[in-house]
Amino acid sequence: MVSSPNLNRCFVVAFLVSSVTRLYAEPERVDFSSQIRPLLNKHCTSCHGGVKQASDLSFIYEQQVLDSGIIEPGNPQESELLHRITTTDPDLRMPPVEEHPEPLSRREVELITLWIEQGAEWDGHWAFRKPAPPDVPDVNDTLWSNTALDRFVLAKLENEGLRPTDESEPTEWLRRVSFDLIGLPPTEQELLSFLDACESNSDNRLATYQAEVDRLLVSPHFGERWASMWLDLARYADSQGYEKDNHRHAWPFRDWVIAAFNADMPFDEFTLKQLAGDLLPEPTADDLIATLFHRNTQTNDEGGTDDEEFRVAAVIDRINTTWTVWMGTTFGCVQCHSHPYDPFRHEEFYQFMAMLNNTADHDLSNDYPTLTYPENKDKQELESTVALTREHKALREQLNREGVALAEGCADWTKLFPTEVSSSHGELEITDDHLVRVVGGTIPANSRYFVKTTATELRALRVEILPESDDPAKWPERGSVLSQIKLTLELADGTSQPVEIHDVIADYLAGPFDPKDSLQENHQGFGGYPKLHGPRWAVFVLKQPLAPPAGAVLSLELHQKASTSGGQSIHLRRFGLTSSADPAWSSLVAAEDRGVRQEELQSLAASLQQLKGTPIPIMQTRSRDYSRPTRTFIRGNWQTRGDLVVAGVPETLHELDLANPGRTELAEWLVADDNPLTARVLVNRIWSELFGIGLVETLEDFGSTGTPPSHPALLDHLAVQLQQEHTWHIKPFLRDLVLSSTYRQANRITPELLERDPRNRLLARGPRTRLTAEMVRDQALVTAGKLSPKIGGPSVMPPQPEGVWQAVYSGAKWKAATDADRYRRALYTYWRRTSPYPSFMTFDSPSREVCSPRRIATNTPLQALVTLNDPVYVELSEHLAVRVMDRADSLPEDWIREAYLIVTQNQLTNTTVTELVALFEATRSEYEKAVDSEAETDHDRAAMTVVASAILNLDEALVK
Amino acid sequence: MNLEPQEQLQHLAGVTRRHFLGSCPTGLGALWLALQNRQQAVASAPSAASVPTIPHFRPKAKRVIFLHMAGAPSQLELFDFKPELQKLDGQPCPQSFLEGKRFAFIQGVPFMLAPQFDFKQVGESGQWVSDRLPHFRSVADEVCFIKSMKTDQFNHAPAQLLLHTGNPNLGYPSFGSWVTYGLGSDNQNLPGFIVLISGGHTPSAGKSAWGSGFVPSVYQGVQCRSKGEPVLYLSNPKAVTPTIRRRMLDSIKKINQETYDAKGDPETLTRISQYEMAFRMQTSATEAFDLKDEPQHIHELYGTQPGKDSFANNCLLARRLVERDVRFIQLFHWGWDSHGAGANEALNAGFSDRCREVDRPMTALLTDLKQRGLLDETLVIWGGEFGRTPMRENRNGVEMKLIGRDHNPGAFTIWLAGGGMKSGFTYGQTDEVGYEAVENPVTPHDFHATMLRALGLDHKRLTYPFQGLNQRLSNVTKPSRVVEAVFA
Repeated sequence: MVSSPNLNRCFVVAFLVSSVTRLYAEPERVDFSSQIRPLLNKHCTSCHGGVKQASDLSFIYEQQVLDSGIIEPGNPQESELLHRITTTDPDLRMPPVEEHPEPLSRREVELITLWIEQGAEWDGHWAFRKPAPPDVPDVNDTLWSNTALDRFVLAKLENEGLRPTDESEPTEWLRRVSFDLIGLPPTEQELLSFLDACESNSDNRLATYQAEVDRLLVSPHFGERWASMWLDLARYADSQGYEKDNHRHAWPFRDWVIAAFNADMPFDEFTLKQLAGDLLPEPTADDLIATLFHRNTQTNDEGGTDDEEFRVAAVIDRINTTWTVWMGTTFGCVQCHSHPYDPFRHEEFYQFMAMLNNTADHDLSNDYPTLTYPENKDKQELESTVALTREHKALREQLNREGVALAEGCADWTKLFPTEVSSSHGELEITDDHLVRVVGGTIPANSRYFVKTTATELRALRVEILPESDDPAKWPERGSVLSQIKLTLELADGTSQPVEIHDVIADYLAGPFDPKDSLQENHQGFGGYPKLHGPRWAVFVLKQPLAPPAGAVLSLELHQKASTSGGQSIHLRRFGLTSSADPAWSSLVAAEDRGVRQEELQSLAASLQQLKGTPIPIMQTRSRDYSRPTRTFIRGNWQTRGDLVVAGVPETLHELDLANPGRTELAEWLVADDNPLTARVLVNRIWSELFGIGLVETLEDFGSTGTPPSHPALLDHLAVQLQQEHTWHIKPFLRDLVLSSTYRQANRITPELLERDPRNRLLARGPRTRLTAEMVRDQALVTAGKLSPKIGGPSVMPPQPEGVWQAVYSGAKWKAATDADRYRRALYTYWRRTSPYPSFMTFDSPSREVCSPRRIATNTPLQALVTLNDPVYVELSEHLAVRVMDRADSLPEDWIREAYLIVTQNQLTNTTVTELVALFEATRSEYEKAVDSEAETDHDRAAMTVVASAILNLDEALVK
Repeated sequence: MNLEPQEQLQHLAGVTRRHFLGSCPTGLGALWLALQNRQQAVASAPSAASVPTIPHFRPKAKRVIFLHMAGAPSQLELFDFKPELQKLDGQPCPQSFLEGKRFAFIQGVPFMLAPQFDFKQVGESGQWVSDRLPHFRSVADEVCFIKSMKTDQFNHAPAQLLLHTGNPNLGYPSFGSWVTYGLGSDNQNLPGFIVLISGGHTPSAGKSAWGSGFVPSVYQGVQCRSKGEPVLYLSNPKAVTPTIRRRMLDSIKKINQETYDAKGDPETLTRISQYEMAFRMQTSATEAFDLKDEPQHIHELYGTQPGKDSFANNCLLARRLVERDVRFIQLFHWGWDSHGAGANEALNAGFSDRCREVDRPMTALLTDLKQRGLLDETLVIWGGEFGRTPMRENRNGVEMKLIGRDHNPGAFTIWLAGGGMKSGFTYGQTDEVGYEAVENPVTPHDFHATMLRALGLDHKRLTYPFQGLNQRLSNVTKPSRVVEAVFA
């Protein structure tokens, strides 16, 4: 830090420049990203940034600054920028005097001056540049490092004049690594055999440690522990969210994540499957279940909600989640305006949205589209369901496409002129261009329209459903569905006869309704449901060609039974009729092979209908033929739509070299070699799981407003290693971390070190962090000897206090399990978003309504109340007590030693054993002297339960 | 390290965890303790220069009681008297009222619906109050009505989220979280933000209505109960007597002290304090929630029955918590969604029951706070998440058997009392039929800015960084203003 007292506060630029040169014998090299960008963010971008661009100047984009001419690279004296920040003229001074009485500090001005002098190089923010493999630094102590990563840590410590802490006791490391890798403490047996191995192989501790790590990495519990981390990001829950918060069958996704971690699925594949598994060629059931990742968004089933509003909300959540999880970048603010600090433009949000906007889900209460998960959970049956569904869809589309081709090629479409219209409710009129439209009144669901037109020769009748507005920017409109059509021929003599319809061809097949239902008595049918995205047409092909006598009238009865949430009718509001007499229609429907395929389709549909199981939400793409167009939302408001956008990724980042990219391309882009962020964000997340704090503390924000990395080179080293050396495999990466000398340090803190580095950013000691909500429960289960080893399956309900669930409009009840499901690991606990399991919330678990990238561990009295008083912990304390008392000829002191060892993996010190034995004795004598104590009461057991509870509440028991 | 990243780091660290702790005797992790001692913590923190001085202004109110009528009560049947609507009763709704509007249940062309109850001007201030709230008429001179509230959400869950978190989407900290984050709490033995629910249901927005969103979870509201254990897990297990518990905690404390001596982790010291605080909370919360020691005349005033799950009990509890310096007390009373789809909520049925359930207790709360000299420093807020339409609901497009009104984001009434608010005053007006706020409209963002100001907080300076922005309760992306006119 250089500042000269001789410098006058009101210096002139020329003087400043010369003084700077004078002050630095060898001028420091100014780094834009770490030194200048923060200054611009601090002083300039609130007015000249992404949101507000006063005088059309933004300091976010290099080009804009260059074009503005306020900087003359290499020449500070000629740079308007420097003049404006140093002038004493209050009318010119930046930032403006009235709001910022203090000018930039001398040091800040010096930095900017130097930067301009050195050429005003504008390198983007560090995190948006691809990490290069850094050189492993040289260190003085060549013996300490166990892995390359240690040398990065050590180099920094040596630079700071610090020494690493000694290696931890084997038991301390074992507890830590066991929680970190599988989320459970070592069992007594595992502890003892590990200690034996340490002793018998004392020359080669590393080999023992490696063997222990390998045991943990292949444990089926590994996937459970890491799934907990991922499920926060995936906002996984067992309910749909919002007011009703109904049950959702999402647990197969949780099991998929567990299995993927257990199988060490490379992260690129893990990414591709979750974002676009459904688009793989011939996707398996697992591939489809993986796509539930982005179906974990909420569904708003409150009466009278707009399904488009909450579909859009879900898509926006998917965008923000994708950016948070993979890119560690705050992209959400770009919804409303260009990013205030990072180089992302407003329209780029919508270009990105276009890649995710074309899925078939539409905030429907049944979570459509879904996959039927067989009741018996049989994998083979599941796969055959997938195959059956695929076959059915393909055949259905093939049959429809043949009709579409004919409809498009048909030359004789003739407009039919309605002559008379009426309606059971509301009012209709015939427009000048011979359309029918609603002009007034209330048209509830179940209304019928009656339309008459002169009967002509025809083989196919086409109904066109039109939006009220012709402006595509106003689409989608509310739905418009024709649920049943009936045709009658009325002859001049007053008699009439029904006209039979053989087939229905729709312009395209989308949504949960089958257009053919417009021939059936049900609520479904043809049209836009729940929204009308633009004009739609369907051709009704007659069974027999109609050759009416003169004076005959064709009468249409259009029945409309469909409605959306809140009972809102989605009747036709504007429609037109055309006809064709082309004989090709008759040949189409009469063709023998088509008949055979129709029958096949029916039998497939019947088989699908018969499937018994639960619907699992999955991703499905709307075909490109009718893909949903994406427009910008002006100021982020989904109801104010701007221009159409083309799908793509932000310009400042690596290219996605493909026109019209979709989810697959997006996934590939995220894990591309050139992606500067994904690997860094992932290694940082894993690091923080182990060390309690990330190298970049803001796991969710690597942008210019996030915290800078404590060890930039180490971060890049790890990122490159994961991506290249380990080809995205997490297990070998974790193996390196937990065997490193850095991780193996003792977690003891000296007062000096605490003063110097309270949060262990320098890593001069091992991590000591509080157990997560899941670990607190799971530890109690393991130590009580009650943990159910079952992996996966539907979520379970361990005991929870009465009256916690009081959701609106829901009869859902919490029924505490009485069988082994009472003792399942925490991650299997039923997760209702509006009412999450209370004791987990107390230990900082999120509600999982949205992506939660970071849990901040707190330390509160409410946590004490949970582990002291929650009946779950009281019950488990008793099991622990019983377990240790179950040894013949043992004494209370032995029980206590045993319980303490089981919980903390440590031997009791003498003072502690004295203390706990005293607690035992005091408690027992309390029970003994209690007047109303029942004769049968086992005082030892009751007292030991209290001691076991005390042990589970020790600081040592709550940290790893 | 360079100066600039250092500053930035301090700023970020400050709001995540660090700055509360710099001054805490125990160092790291003492969020809860820091929460209790926010003022001191900030004042003596080494990085005090970068921390705004809190409170920013001289506070008018020290704490808040927010009575949320979940489901949205009809302004047209309680406070916003509209004789013009009387004349239009039964007429088809003009097209101009329907264009560009979305409704939850109304479709096509509904009919106008007259105010269903008699109104009277009461008190010296001449405030209009309907006959559904006979008790409340006696305290109308104490309150400040805002009749021009409006929102942009017409479904319950998003509208409640907007009113409680400043954002219709999930994931944002609630009003009470912001206030406790800003001001801490003056009672070490009770949570600083307590939530009480009556009416048998949590509000539509679920626990997010008192969630902490992206601020640390220590600021989330703690839902307490007027029946059973007031705070979850407060009671000792059956077999553990207070003597045993004390003995147990003494052992835990000694062993933890030993752990601290060996490990030197300040979190261990914090944990020792938290266990002690939990012990004290067991006594003080149990005592605070025990209504049995209230005298008979107080029970009569509120209409309370100890052990019952009722709005009346919750109002009395709110007063007891205020006496114990709890910072933010949030009540929800469910059942105001008067569509007319069922008797329990219809205007000509259940609505009157809801009015009866709240009328006496909320009146008693104001009277009682006043007689104890607590009203001046306690801000009481009453209101729903939106208003109701001047049209009669025609669910499914047909005339319904019972009478109800649909959701109306365009206008609703709230009232404020105590905490430096004007009394016997009305701010803002709706149009002739109470459909839209036309004079001095107040958005939820304005409401938040104003309420924070009453507590001495500048809504633009009470911030927390998230998603690249310094987020605030009043919503960074939306305009907001402090409604000075409501301050006395």
